[in-house]
Amino acid sequence: MSDEPSIPAGENQRPTGERRRPAGSVGHPAQHSPVIEPPLPSASLPAAQFSRHAISRRELLKSGARGASLLGFGAAAGFLSGRESKDATRWQIDPNQCIQCGRCATDCVLEVSAVKCVHSYGMCGYCKLCTGYFEPEPINLDEGAENQLCPTGAIKREFIEDPYYEYSINKELCVGCGKCVKGCNMFGNGSLYLQVCHDRCINCNICSIATACPAQAFHQVPLTKPYLLRGKGASAK
Amino acid sequence: MSEDAGHKNASASPQRRSFLLAAAWGGGIAGLGGLTGLTIAKLTRKQTAAPARKPVLGDEFTYDVARFQKSDPALLRYQEITRFASGLEHARALAVAADAAIFVGGNGGIRNFSAKGEAGLKISLDQPVYSIALRASGEMIVGQLGKISVLDASGAVLAVWSGLPENLLPTSIALAGELVFVADAANRVVLKLDASGKKLGVIGARDPARNLKGFVVPSPYFCVRMAPDGLLRIANPGEHQIEAFTLDGDLEVAWGHGSFAVAGFCGCCNPVSFDVFPDGSFVTCEKGLPRVKLYNSTGEFTGLVAGPDAFPEYLQAANAGTTDVLGSGVYAAIDPQGRVLVLDSVSGLIRIMQRKPLDHE
Repeated sequence: MSDEPSIPAGENQRPTGERRRPAGSVGHPAQHSPVIEPPLPSASLPAAQFSRHAISRRELLKSGARGASLLGFGAAAGFLSGRESKDATRWQIDPNQCIQCGRCATDCVLEVSAVKCVHSYGMCGYCKLCTGYFEPEPINLDEGAENQLCPTGAIKREFIEDPYYEYSINKELCVGCGKCVKGCNMFGNGSLYLQVCHDRCINCNICSIATACPAQAFHQVPLTKPYLLRGKGASAK
Repeated sequence: MSEDAGHKNASASPQRRSFLLAAAWGGGIAGLGGLTGLTIAKLTRKQTAAPARKPVLGDEFTYDVARFQKSDPALLRYQEITRFASGLEHARALAVAADAAIFVGGNGGIRNFSAKGEAGLKISLDQPVYSIALRASGEMIVGQLGKISVLDASGAVLAVWSGLPENLLPTSIALAGELVFVADAANRVVLKLDASGKKLGVIGARDPARNLKGFVVPSPYFCVRMAPDGLLRIANPGEHQIEAFTLDGDLEVAWGHGSFAVAGFCGCCNPVSFDVFPDGSFVTCEKGLPRVKLYNSTGEFTGLVAGPDAFPEYLQAANAGTTDVLGSGVYAAIDPQGRVLVLDSVSGLIRIMQRKPLDHE
């Protein structure tokens, strides 16, 4: 033993640069160690030495099968985790940030936008002159098309008792332009507002309306609470 | 270290290395698989294909009231002589004392100003102030969510009245001698109270036997004032009317109609506030289209104090869709000099408007 500080024998002793050096070669610091590593296959390697490290076809298949199953397992795990993170949230509009710019109607990837007007009945004033339903200067306060604000006729009005009327949205006709929402917000109490309807939304990973929204009113919300509703008894009907 | 032990360790090393090598390979393969899976998951998501952008919406999809936001200068009967900031968020209560001192309430409490707009007393209150009425003694009757308080001139609380509705939303208070009338927007009635706050009755509740349909109050704007003819005037905003009631709650007369044209009350629920001149004529305020208008004692439109274009901050917020729908009121009060004080909640400014001299004067 030399006077140098003793280092326990083991792999840490071996400089990495020497890992591929054939065992037993002259000058190896661990030359007293047995052969521990297969040399790289080389044409210059003696055949006997090479055959010592050759693997059988069975072993190859076994290793291949193991590798393939690991790969499959990893792929499945990755796929599921990818799916999981996407499924945990939904896109939604914060009605307090929405400025009714009309982009919801034009920027959805769907042919007819998944954004629709919704109505918080608990907040609604059931006004006879609803500014979300009527043109600013209606000829009459009745259901005549010329008096209605909605260009697609998506709002239905029903008499409750004098002077109250109930207003409901036909989602099939609503295109999410927000015209009625603007009328209700400007003059009423904001019981009409826009929401992404999840029976239609395909939950793109990057919502194109969110990208276009000038008010940054789109947010990813938990799947467990996919609507941002106003008022008591609010519903996304 | 003995040579044996060294040899043992050295002989264990290759197995460990093989194991680590195999584990590294396995981990690598599994990681590669994970990445592949993740990529597949991403690729199979519904992609945000560059949307085939639909045509720009036509005019029929635009809510356009711009034509109503300009006022006819020929209708203006008042001019602004000064303005000052209330210093309050959501300022919504405005009252003038007999000495022309101005009191403004909102989130944070009450601010007092001289008739010229010089800042005076600041009273801090935890809850937002919705209404203020001033007694001749200098006491303030202050309406807040769920309560009415009496404060002395320095802002010290003298009393908090009990026995009122828990959900009371006192948007306006009027005094008639010892009687106090509180417009409760939450319950859509006017409460009649004595000087100590004891409830004496309710005015305006739905009662077909008395030909009372009830007040239609869609949003927290509901105003009551005492008129010089001894009748209460109460806004029925959902009906676009100002109604006259006896102090016992009988409906006497009503006037007003809904219209975006200047002579009517616009939107779904206006006027949001008004005051009565000593001659029985009215100054009214509307939200949505911020308009301060004049009507004679029978309800005929006689002119404008301020048109929508006098409130640029308000219009900007309204057109941009950023108005707080519950904090966009416009309020007026008449001071002893006949000037009209106008407060709009959006800018928080108080404008002092003075009557223009008539052409023949």
